[in-house]
Amino acid sequence: MTLLALIIAAPLLAGLAVLALRRAPEAIALTGIGIGFAAALALLAGTFGGNAAQLVLSGLPRMPLILSAEPLTAVFSALVATVAFGVLVYAAGYMRADPDRPRFFGTVLLFVAAMQALVLAGDWITLLAAWELIGFSSYLLIGFWHGRAGVPAAATRAFLYTRSADLGLYLGIFVLIGWAGTSEIQATLAITGTPALVAGLLLLVGAMGKSAQVPLQDWLQRAMAGPTPVSALLHSATLVAAGAILLIRVAPMLPAGALLAVGLVGGVTAVVAGLIALAERDLKRLLAASTSSQYGLMLLAVGAGVPVAALLHLIAHAAIKSTLFLGAGVFQHDRDSTYMDAVAGAGRARPLVFAAFALAALALAGIPPLAGFFSKDAIIAAALAAPGAAWLVPLALAGTVLTGTYMARALRVLWGGAARPVSGKGIGWMGAGMAPLAALAVGLGAAFAPLEHGLGAELPPEGTAMILGLAAALVGLALGWFLGPARLLGPMLPLAQSGFALAGGMDALILRPALATAAACERFEQRLLAAQLGLVRAVGFGSASGVERAEQRIHAGTLAFGRLNLRLGDRAEDTDKNGIDGLIFGLVHRTVAAGRRLRLLQSGLIHRELALTVMGIALIVVLLLAAPLYS
Amino acid sequence: MPLLSLSVFLPLLGGLLLLALPRKSARTAHGISIGTTGLTFLVTLAIWARGTLPGGFAQVEEIAWIPAIGAAYRLGIDGLSLPLILMTSLLFFLSSIYAARITDRPAVFVVLMLMLETASIGTFAALDALLFYVFFEVSLVGMYFMIVGWGYEERQRAGLMFFIYTLLGSLPLLLAIIGLFLATGSFDMRLWIDMPPLTGLAAMLALVAMLFTFAVKIPAFPVHTWLPAAHVQAPTVGSVILAGVMLKFGTYGLIRFALQMTPEAFAQAGQVVLAFGVFSAIYGAFAALAQSDLKKMIAYTSVNHMGYVVMAVAVAALTIDADLRAVALNGAALQMVSHGIVTGSLFFLVGMLQSRAHSREMAGFGGLLGQVPWLGWAFILSVFASLGLPGLAHFPAEFQIFLATLNAQPWAIAAILAIVITAGLYLRAIAAVFLGERNGKWADMPDLDRGEKLAIVPLLVLIVLIGVAPSWLLGMMDATMRALQF
Repeated sequence: MTLLALIIAAPLLAGLAVLALRRAPEAIALTGIGIGFAAALALLAGTFGGNAAQLVLSGLPRMPLILSAEPLTAVFSALVATVAFGVLVYAAGYMRADPDRPRFFGTVLLFVAAMQALVLAGDWITLLAAWELIGFSSYLLIGFWHGRAGVPAAATRAFLYTRSADLGLYLGIFVLIGWAGTSEIQATLAITGTPALVAGLLLLVGAMGKSAQVPLQDWLQRAMAGPTPVSALLHSATLVAAGAILLIRVAPMLPAGALLAVGLVGGVTAVVAGLIALAERDLKRLLAASTSSQYGLMLLAVGAGVPVAALLHLIAHAAIKSTLFLGAGVFQHDRDSTYMDAVAGAGRARPLVFAAFALAALALAGIPPLAGFFSKDAIIAAALAAPGAAWLVPLALAGTVLTGTYMARALRVLWGGAARPVSGKGIGWMGAGMAPLAALAVGLGAAFAPLEHGLGAELPPEGTAMILGLAAALVGLALGWFLGPARLLGPMLPLAQSGFALAGGMDALILRPALATAAACERFEQRLLAAQLGLVRAVGFGSASGVERAEQRIHAGTLAFGRLNLRLGDRAEDTDKNGIDGLIFGLVHRTVAAGRRLRLLQSGLIHRELALTVMGIALIVVLLLAAPLYS
Repeated sequence: MPLLSLSVFLPLLGGLLLLALPRKSARTAHGISIGTTGLTFLVTLAIWARGTLPGGFAQVEEIAWIPAIGAAYRLGIDGLSLPLILMTSLLFFLSSIYAARITDRPAVFVVLMLMLETASIGTFAALDALLFYVFFEVSLVGMYFMIVGWGYEERQRAGLMFFIYTLLGSLPLLLAIIGLFLATGSFDMRLWIDMPPLTGLAAMLALVAMLFTFAVKIPAFPVHTWLPAAHVQAPTVGSVILAGVMLKFGTYGLIRFALQMTPEAFAQAGQVVLAFGVFSAIYGAFAALAQSDLKKMIAYTSVNHMGYVVMAVAVAALTIDADLRAVALNGAALQMVSHGIVTGSLFFLVGMLQSRAHSREMAGFGGLLGQVPWLGWAFILSVFASLGLPGLAHFPAEFQIFLATLNAQPWAIAAILAIVITAGLYLRAIAAVFLGERNGKWADMPDLDRGEKLAIVPLLVLIVLIGVAPSWLLGMMDATMRALQF
């Protein structure tokens, strides 16, 4: 119980402290994140020892907020804490020169707290709240350098893409709560039949947005406008992971139809995003597209009915991708850019960083005995054993080949260009943050067996899968190293570089129609207003004489309104000068007088009507107040 | 001690005191204003401390008035009206703090504002229909003079439009009240609620009349057109009170009158009301998206947010599942309070921006976050609350409204599209005004001063508090809503 609270509260309070104090941000941040890290590891040990725990807080009536510690949530929590710890150590170096550091560390800590709430959520409201809060804090982080051109647009786009897809999550949750009569996640997973199918598909939409699956993948690459440690954090174990985490958690509920949809979305994304990564001209954007592609493979595993394979790949990918991003950040510091042309040869100047980067790249491709090898095998094995194997196996293998191809290409660029000497400054904190994550990318595979055991999950046999996966990885690496994207993709290259933006992409399909609808509403609004003013005027005209009517047409609305009310304004001023005794009734009388004068000027019944009504109300009030006297 | 009467008439007494003073300097006027509204706020807190009853009205105060026609001075509260009264007294208190910078005829302004507060709290506390109607109408007069006397460029036109619109709009309510009176011989609202007197056609006619009045006030499509005009031209404090407090008269009346006094007719007409709610919500969001004037944009989002309330009330009328009903009405009640706090905050902030820049056009700004961080971050927090971010005030309300809607009237969930549109328009506003490259024109714009912070910070704290732990409000709302008989 205390551990559960501590995991979230430590980063949260540290974040608020950083924002409030605005000094020593690194020290406070690392303390908070360190406490959270220790608590998460303790929780993991506890739950694997058989101690499940719950923390119930008051939420909505009959729908309390629940944090739940079970083996699966504890694994996620430990993963988030580990990556966050490494990234923050790295950020202490990366952000050293930034005057706005407190805001950076404060927001990252809030982000981590929200992510921990998401993985530990035991009820749907907590999950949804945390889900949207990580979207919000990533908006703040992507938009961290908000004064730079293009950054606000990238942050806005990231939030809007994911929020649109979140509608799926909202609706899915409403279906689940409505059907089960409770908001507890565990209880709602018992739902079967059509509601389960509908809810499953709706949740898939939400997950597609967060995990940047086709066709909602575009925001992720643009999100590279944020500081690199942010990218490392968002892409490995947190923001993007939320979608996969959601599907892994609800996998037991998903019926066959929903599973197939999940698998296909994932498989298609693995291939499409892989092609985009291959065509990319910017190292960070290549890594971003790769993230979509890898999460595609995880969804494929969920769709194949083996969520634990997705879990293993999620864990391996978290360590690998954070290492890759942190490495890219070092090169970015050296060359002030992440364009492929700019970072060409940057790896030679920093052999150690390059070594870590290369190990992570090979791990992602699936070379034994690195971490990615085991998880990718598990995914291919799951695809082979799945009912939809005919679809899933080719997609999984193509995704694996592409992973090898784009990673080999990145390695070649980093190693191949001319090595310029670096400024000689050490990378201190950055290296300290990167090293443990790289070590995990290499050695995590050893932890997978006990993990499976602890979760009580079994993987399908891996014999064929191992051979297929390794062959695909090697083919991919060779293709990427020896052939350029232009030769590999041929005529598809421009399309892939544009991110497969078919039919003008999301902007043309959603943004422009929305703005057009808005403009139409505004035009209608003006007409409605004119019609209503006309109606009021017509009522006035109807009871006036013909002569008046003709003249009133000339004195159309606005002018006359203005005149009357200027007078009223003056009156109000007079009252103040004369002392404001009898203010209300004085004003009423003057309004009546003004109305009478204006009626003489034949400028409209509206004013008379107004005056009369005011007088009428005043009369009613007086009569009523006096009522006890005569009744 | 009759605390309710005290909270209703304390502001009026403050106004009279000011009138009686021989010298009315700006300092005295604002001093009296802040003192009175502050004291009123404390009184409403004491009312809160006394608490409500799980069913029916608490802290009832009754004095014979016109026994011949069964009209009496009757006040009382339940879990629906108490939160609104608390919100009202807080918003008036903060408004009077912010208004302390007004130098143009301050004494008249203060008297108007205090009169408005009496009328507003009275509207929520009245248990006698005649009394309700009087308060309801008096608030209108106060707001009219506030717009016309202290508004912006086109204030006369907007003020008159507001007045005619809402005045004509409230006449049908009077007819409905007379109808209910004729059926019972009393103006006691409790009587009408405990045993709805009208049936059949009479009930339907009364309902239609009430719906018309409250739809104008809420405002719901297509009788919302006065709102953007009035808001854009109203002075900052006027906008805050208009959006924060006076729109709630409409939604409060929708529940207290339409739903509670003509429940059967409401259930029959439920689908129509629901359709208006859904359409208002979506239409308001799109109309807001089309605006380039910040204040007008926020005004239209009120149409959107209040549309959700209409939906929730209709859903409650249409369903017989007690749990779903409570969820829908809890959402509606909380949405009113959240909207008051959040939109109040937004109108304060836009007013603060306008008083510095003398412009509300989004395109004219840019990069202000670095220049005026307090104003910028307060705006960002309020905006994210308004677009329904969890952890902030609107989320618990909208979550319950949509949850009930999907499970009772699935088609109406189409309105949820609006939460994406509002997200889009708000983020665009943030990006245009506060992010991006700095516009050199505003290089000497000052950040919020102490008085402005005093007005805005309590609202920001409440936005977070309601979002994170809404149970202190939802608890009393839920107790009342579950006990509603209709």
